Amino acid sequence: MRTIEEGSRPLKVAVPLVLAALALMAGLGTAAAAEAPTRHDYVRRLEAICKPDALATQRVMSGARGDVKAERLKVAAAKFAKATSIFGGTVQKISKIERPAADRQRLRKWFGYLGRQERYLTEITVKLRAEEAIQAQRLTARFIHNGNLANNVVLAFGFEYCSFKFSRYG
Amino acid sequence: MSARPATRLRVVAVLLLAAALTVAVAGGASGERKQSGNLIVALRGRISPLELARGHPTPVHLRLASTLLTSDQTALPRVKRLEVGLPTKGSVSTRGLSVCTVRRLRNATSKGALNTCGAARVGHGVATTAVALPGQPAFTARARLLVFNGPRRMGHRSLLLHAYSERPPTSVVVPFRLARRRGEFGLTMAADLPAALGPWLRLAGFRLTLGRRYSFRGRRQSFLSATCPIPRRFTAGFFSLAKVTYTLVGGRQIGTAITRSCRAP
Repeated sequence: MRTIEEGSRPLKVAVPLVLAALALMAGLGTAAAAEAPTRHDYVRRLEAICKPDALATQRVMSGARGDVKAERLKVAAAKFAKATSIFGGTVQKISKIERPAADRQRLRKWFGYLGRQERYLTEITVKLRAEEAIQAQRLTARFIHNGNLANNVVLAFGFEYCSFKFSRYG
Repeated sequence: MSARPATRLRVVAVLLLAAALTVAVAGGASGERKQSGNLIVALRGRISPLELARGHPTPVHLRLASTLLTSDQTALPRVKRLEVGLPTKGSVSTRGLSVCTVRRLRNATSKGALNTCGAARVGHGVATTAVALPGQPAFTARARLLVFNGPRRMGHRSLLLHAYSERPPTSVVVPFRLARRRGEFGLTMAADLPAALGPWLRLAGFRLTLGRRYSFRGRRQSFLSATCPIPRRFTAGFFSLAKVTYTLVGGRQIGTAITRSCRAP
């Protein structure tokens, strides 16, 4: 017959092990939380990356609107290609930055929108190069709408250069 | 058999309703927002008609709605100056339009203002303010807005914004200066909000429709006109429609801009 004391012997060993494991996990969690930046730090770091790229986008896209108006679609396409490359580079750089723990889900959603923005830019470039005006026009509408949705996700971050601004694209 | 057309009609009606709702939701969500600290500014707007001529100006009406709110429900800061930027290529004409003066609008109700200066009216709307009187819970007050063509001031055209609220009874006239400058929002309407409004009144938003068609010497005129200068092979173009900037007491500024499309036949 097993007494209660006999039966609880494995428990006596297991409890300290579980506690030790929990303590270790808690310790790791604390260390991870300590490493994760605050939202303020995160915004500062991202803005430092986005600013030169946003200004570069503005430079390369300068006159694109005029090119489209004058039906120089291939010239506009070349500008869009450069802007796409800058945008892709920016997204790659900022995606490597450690994200604030509390904002990870929201930022995952934002990066999803940014990925879509990059795809739209690529497609606009392709359509302009192929002189498919109506397709380029439709994609531009989606690009603007998606950009606004992206901005809404990170509204509380107060981004200036990392937010979408259509005016940067010519 | 006879039930089929009715069912089809019902399906079509449901689909149309769904489409209308989708458009309404999309329209409602189309406002652009920006946050700085705990302060959020939102702006929505559109021009009508959407379809404009490519080469020559078409008379338009412009609708704008902006909101100021705080993310943490704290009291709104006081707005010292309001500036609305419109596209450089938009044109404003006041040729032959009656002119109203601040003196004629002072202390007038909306009805009184329309009686005195109705011929000079170029817009209307609503302003929302949060009123926080000491020792009383804050409440929201709405004022009817009327916009009139004003006299020239130092070479610039002006618009007079008349705001009248019944509860509490308040009548305010704010002169806006219409000016041209460089940049994508080259046509600006700017005004310093009068200090006489006191420290308790906080602007929380406005809705404004600008536009007026009138006749002058037998010819149709429009206060606002716009073109959709896109190449033949495009059917729509995108442009920055408006930007609103609030300057708060202390000099801090917050603003946002909106992009919209126009169509060309």
